[in-house]
Amino acid sequence: MRPYLAHIKINLKLTLRDRMILFFNYAFPLVFFFIFAQAFDAKQGGAITQVISMVLIIGVLGTGFFGAGIRSVQEREQNILRRFKVAPITASPILTASVVVGWAAYLPSVILFLVLANVVYKMPIPAQPLSLLAFISIGVIAFRSVGLVIASVVNSMQESQIVTQLLYLPMLFLSGATFPITILPDWLQVVAQFLPATHLFTGLQAILIRGETLGQNLSAVGALLLTTAVALFIGNKLFRWEKDEKLPASAKLWLLVVFVPFILLGTWEAKSRDSIAKSKQLSREMARGRTTLIKDARIVIGDGDVIPSGSVLIRNGKIEQVFSSAPPKSVEDIANVVEGAGKTIIPGLIDAHVHLGNPGGIVQDWAKYDAAKSMRHALIAYLYSGVTAVRSVGDSLDSILAMRKESASGERSESELLVCGPLFTTEGGHGTEYFAGVPEKYREQILKQFVRTPKTPDEARAQVRELKTAGVDAIKAVLDAGQASFLFNRMDASILRAIVAESHAQNLPVTVHTGDSKDIADAVAAGADGIEHGSDRDRIPDLLLSEMAKKGVAYDPTLAVVEAWNDYVAGKTDLLDRPMVQQVGPVDLIASTKKFIDSPDAIKLRERLGKYNVSVAIGMENLQRAHRAGVNLVAGTDSGNMLLFHGPALHRELQLWVQAGVPAEAALRAATSQAARALHAEGRIGSLAKGHDATLLLLDGNPLQDITVTERISGLYYKGERIGRSGLFGDEKK
Amino acid sequence: MTASPVISVRGLHKSYGDFQAVRGIDFEVRPGEVFGLLGPNGAGKTTTVEILEGLRVRTSGDVAVLGFDPSLQTQRLKDRIGVSLQHTNLPDKITVMEALELFAAFYSRSVEPKQLLQRLQLWEKRNAQYSTLSGGQKQRLALALALINDPQLLFLDEPTTGLDPQVRLEIHSLIEELRSQKCTILMTTHYIEEAERLCDRVAIIDEGKIIAMGTPREIQAQTLGHSRIEIQCAAPIPDNPPAATGSETFRYSDDRRSLSVTSTHAAKTLVELVKWIDAQGLELEDIRLNRPTLEDVFIELTGKSLRE
Repeated sequence: MRPYLAHIKINLKLTLRDRMILFFNYAFPLVFFFIFAQAFDAKQGGAITQVISMVLIIGVLGTGFFGAGIRSVQEREQNILRRFKVAPITASPILTASVVVGWAAYLPSVILFLVLANVVYKMPIPAQPLSLLAFISIGVIAFRSVGLVIASVVNSMQESQIVTQLLYLPMLFLSGATFPITILPDWLQVVAQFLPATHLFTGLQAILIRGETLGQNLSAVGALLLTTAVALFIGNKLFRWEKDEKLPASAKLWLLVVFVPFILLGTWEAKSRDSIAKSKQLSREMARGRTTLIKDARIVIGDGDVIPSGSVLIRNGKIEQVFSSAPPKSVEDIANVVEGAGKTIIPGLIDAHVHLGNPGGIVQDWAKYDAAKSMRHALIAYLYSGVTAVRSVGDSLDSILAMRKESASGERSESELLVCGPLFTTEGGHGTEYFAGVPEKYREQILKQFVRTPKTPDEARAQVRELKTAGVDAIKAVLDAGQASFLFNRMDASILRAIVAESHAQNLPVTVHTGDSKDIADAVAAGADGIEHGSDRDRIPDLLLSEMAKKGVAYDPTLAVVEAWNDYVAGKTDLLDRPMVQQVGPVDLIASTKKFIDSPDAIKLRERLGKYNVSVAIGMENLQRAHRAGVNLVAGTDSGNMLLFHGPALHRELQLWVQAGVPAEAALRAATSQAARALHAEGRIGSLAKGHDATLLLLDGNPLQDITVTERISGLYYKGERIGRSGLFGDEKK
Repeated sequence: MTASPVISVRGLHKSYGDFQAVRGIDFEVRPGEVFGLLGPNGAGKTTTVEILEGLRVRTSGDVAVLGFDPSLQTQRLKDRIGVSLQHTNLPDKITVMEALELFAAFYSRSVEPKQLLQRLQLWEKRNAQYSTLSGGQKQRLALALALINDPQLLFLDEPTTGLDPQVRLEIHSLIEELRSQKCTILMTTHYIEEAERLCDRVAIIDEGKIIAMGTPREIQAQTLGHSRIEIQCAAPIPDNPPAATGSETFRYSDDRRSLSVTSTHAAKTLVELVKWIDAQGLELEDIRLNRPTLEDVFIELTGKSLRE
């Protein structure tokens, strides 16, 4: 033990006397700190965590490769190690002292940068300071050990320079330490996963941004520790005291052995892509942390209030403040200022009725249809269209829950997804007809994904509980006997009551698909929270409307799907020519849909479907009366159905509402705060309230005067991140 | 000598691939003696010493140092010996005192650094950094480090190589001091005068073999080299010198006041010559006996010069 302590003590003293070490550990990273902070607008928040990670990694690489590696070669070349050779000691105290002292000399710089970030750039104090220090310590120790093993396998200073640069440069440039890894081409991101520095950077970011612990970064921690152990073992075995003792060139292969943990980790990541996804998420979380001030715009709060000229301050992904007069100058200094004069800020729009797994058109080759890919495209299309949250009201349960998780991860920029579970209907009821053609073998399995057909109230309750456990956000039931040649069994009222009661007990809202006013009346009587479609076949009685108004039942008329249905039956494809539809595409889907509608098959099909009678005029009339009766209106589209492309459809819906006589202001409320309430998400989204997600649109014009202005999106912020709309679909391919 | 030898080497061989650096060496170093290995660069001196220090593994032969086998009981041996190697350095910024404290921590016993530094006249320099020391101070520090564990045996590998004459004398007197304290020392050198002055016994090594061994005097005596007697008188010396025992050639100076005689038995010749001069009634002004140097011996034995 004495030789260890003596080496550590003297090494520490010598380190403190060495200006080069102080330069590499402190002065050099300090310069980078301020350069990066400037380059990444750290004053506006968010990016400071990236800056600090970059600087710390540069420091770790420096202390490892140059502080430990090159220095150790120097000591051998200068015949210093030779002097120790005659004493009764082994290499182990020398290696240990290098690692321990390297760590001790480096750690204060971590504190220095954290303090600087906190004082100068207002970075919050890390939530897990111990994990942060432990993780960076493990990193320093691993890189010091790697430096020492390099020293052990090279034969001269020249060789050590070459080997060091070969490892140092890729780690400097590909790990995220000099620029964000997410801007690299995909294949390079995969390559980067083989570098220890990348895992160090990602882990550091996760601990800083998300407040993760050491335990949540076990693979990186494990690989670093393993590398340390292997490196010290090999470094010790191959240690040479004299420059004249040469090793064969093949000794350099031992370096590969040292990196085996990261070769394995990289191979694993190349397959799983977990870490690549994580670095994308982290860079997204960071982008969301940027402070933005949108100035001098008209602000539609979403709850009915309008500020004629005000400003919105976005900070840490939330709405920090809404100013109805000029914001203080101090705010402008720390924010990215966006001029909003002549524009209107509205909350991100919400579509309460979508089928994400249906594409909205006819796919050329269904055998090649990839539902997950199509869902991903749809969620990106929603974001592009300013529809920042949607509720799926009927999709395959497992895949829609997986998609919700994926979209919540932040790996890609896409809209928020809320999920109703499988439809509650009845044997032979609406919702089951789509699966009649499915082979017997698979039918049971597929039905389970899409529908529940309880035979008794108890069964219904059990199924609601089961879906709650699965994690759905709401329950949708169907009450519709159909019409003409499209007749369905209709759910028994006692079962609907059971569904509603159990859903409420589980704190889930229940919304009911209806066909006509009798369905609405029964659903309202059963205690439903929302009505989907309402009636496009008959007039809703005034009494029922006022009862709905009194009970606060949400009414979601989905006029867009009624219009699209009639267009389809008539063979019209005008809806596909709308600019926003053309923008979100996909182009080949638009083409194949148009082609299909003109085909002989389609003509026959359209003739049959034409017997199912729904009227836009009746739907509009009911909506307008519901509005006047004070019913709680919610906007939804039934997108995914024929001719209804995900995203643009909601804008069409709002236009139909205004045509129906609903004021633009009320229509916007229905697509924002009221929809949020129906989704039980009013605490986070749907209005520009302090503390809500900073998800909002900057519109070019005044939608209160002209509802089509909602399609003229000149700025889009999602949870504080400014979204470049034109680049959104590029993300999809990765 | 009844005490068992400190170092005993028998049939030592060391090969590096095809190259035989040491080809069968035998010698012993006795307690309290200074033993010198003398030879040109590349003769195998350093290889031999490093085998004894436990730094290299021998190819064959029997070796015992302080009773240990250097290649098996390396750490125990290193703990008991002191070594001053050629061409070593310390970190630039380490101070004299720190270096001593550092090395003291490596050994199971150590002497008080202050005494050691005073003895080596480094006490004033105790806080000086290594890079600021002169060549002599660095070499004295190297000696101090070699002595920090109060070694039973000291290895000095070319202790004065590369030092200027002034400093070399300084180091010589330090070694003489150690010698007077009965410290057992094995040193290598390629300086003849160093070996003659400092060593009790010397082994001359060339091409991996010992070609002569003994006290410097014995080695000289073993050779065919002739001593030369120089006589100087106040008046011219008669030209009929006696055929003194061992005498071979006689040469007079131009004024005949000095006479140079070569002899194979210098001592006897000298006595007979002095008697003769006395008998002639001449006044003897000066008389010198020049013995052959180890250099002469070396040249005679190997046909080449020690210095490269």
